[in-house]
Amino acid sequence: MPVPATDPPAGALDAAARLADRLRWFFLPLALCALVAVGVHTAADVVGEIILRMVDAADAAFDGLVSRWSVTAPLVDLVGPSQRIFFARAVALLWELAADALLALPMLGYDERADEVKRFRELAAKARVRPTTLRVAHPFATGAVALAGSCAVGRLLEGTLHFGLRGAIGSAADALARGCALAAVLGLVSFIAWRAVVYALVRADARSDRIPFRRARAFTVGLPGALLLLPLALAALRAAPLLSFLR
Amino acid sequence: MRRARSLADLVLAALCLWAAWYHTPPGALLRTAFARLFGARSATPPLLSYYGAGARTFQLAEPLPPRAVLSPGAALGLGAQSALERTSPADRAQVLARAGLRSGSADALGDWIGREAQRQGSREAAVLSLFCGEEAARFARERSGSGRGGASLEELARQLPPLYADRVALAATALTLGTAYALGWPLPDSAQVTSPFGVRAHPLLGARRFHSGIDLGIPVGTPVRAAAEGIVRRASDDRVSGRLVLVDHGSGVSTVYCHNDALLVAPGEVVTRGQVIALSGNSGLSTGPHLHYQLDLPRGPADPLLFRAARPPQLASGGTEP
Repeated sequence: MPVPATDPPAGALDAAARLADRLRWFFLPLALCALVAVGVHTAADVVGEIILRMVDAADAAFDGLVSRWSVTAPLVDLVGPSQRIFFARAVALLWELAADALLALPMLGYDERADEVKRFRELAAKARVRPTTLRVAHPFATGAVALAGSCAVGRLLEGTLHFGLRGAIGSAADALARGCALAAVLGLVSFIAWRAVVYALVRADARSDRIPFRRARAFTVGLPGALLLLPLALAALRAAPLLSFLR
Repeated sequence: MRRARSLADLVLAALCLWAAWYHTPPGALLRTAFARLFGARSATPPLLSYYGAGARTFQLAEPLPPRAVLSPGAALGLGAQSALERTSPADRAQVLARAGLRSGSADALGDWIGREAQRQGSREAAVLSLFCGEEAARFARERSGSGRGGASLEELARQLPPLYADRVALAATALTLGTAYALGWPLPDSAQVTSPFGVRAHPLLGARRFHSGIDLGIPVGTPVRAAAEGIVRRASDDRVSGRLVLVDHGSGVSTVYCHNDALLVAPGEVVTRGQVIALSGNSGLSTGPHLHYQLDLPRGPADPLLFRAARPPQLASGGTEP
């Protein structure tokens, strides 16, 4: 049976590419969710010190209160100085899981469009005309944690390649690991992270549209979530050492 | 073109899933859930160990006892020796050979760490270099942007791949113990221990309770000195611990001074070793003037006397606490 002349020879790479193309609907939402989750964790790890200070202040206030009555006085030992780090990390974990619920999990509903750039432009223009806290905070937080996540994945890849290949190829492993890490960070930012920002904007827009727009109330739409996410977003920007891949 | 991009997207997606699966608490939760679902054994570390860049410390049954008053360098050497005791003989030999050391004594390790700290700019980098190797320490220093010194062990550890987690834990343990060994004493050596560390009958409440520090009997108004340099994390007053100061010395070590009459420092203040931070007293739940001195390590309170060569005089009975 004659093979049609237009079909290229089907190599393994081509077959893999075709399979990847067919499975985009499955792995892209997972990738977005995973990247945001990695970024959220990176940020939560960085805010640990701030949380420790908050735990210290809260513990001092709590001890001052419960020590006033003999019945509640034993509660002073509930959070001793020794448990400070445990409590601070537990708070960081809860914060991370809450941020994952707001940012990472919704990414599983990502629906890829051919005109993502156009979709982003339209929604960004709408956000400028009808701004709400939700429309601004969620895409910004998503962008920040996705950037931090990209750097964290890049660093993980760099370290693994650097120390994994050093025995086999010597000092060339350093350059190779650096190159791969930089390529991975650039790839993640340009192919995955920006999709996460677009989808965060899509979701924020849809949720904002459910409430009749009033400029006076726009600030309160999505405010609790923003208060939870913005400190993490700022920590994420601090934890995104883009320049370190070039050093 | 689209297929090529799909392939690139697939590779990037795999990287994201790998990182999230193995290096985030939600990934750990999912791994545990899958292991339970399929009846497999899970080696997932505790969720909270994913924070602090995995710079967790091992629980030491009892640290090596110091034989004399230690300089900070010798203290770090003894900390490293105590941490090395946790490793297998083969691992210990590998660490010593890599450092070019014939002996794993506290003195030899302390000298080596001191030299490396001079060269690399910080004791954290030097200890990391001892346990993870010079290449790993250089990699971590360069990537953290600290160059010569400045970065904490956590910041350095964040740059290393997970295969170094156990070695980083050893380095963290060495730094913690080294910091604890280097602590001074908050009162003159003549101050008597009126209630020791550990489980004892509570002098006021009667029941047997865990005493998380030691009580040192001293007259009201005696200057209380910081055991080492650090940052005051808490200076507060309550009706149980009285007026207390908590000083964070770094590397997971903090000291607490309770039942004071007056506090001379405020939270956020940097204190030096030997600086008077409070005047002792009888505030809070107490049966007599004393200082409750507590040493906290990452896994909980530890007996401060374990890290001290000189033993203060002990009172045969009685108690002044909580």
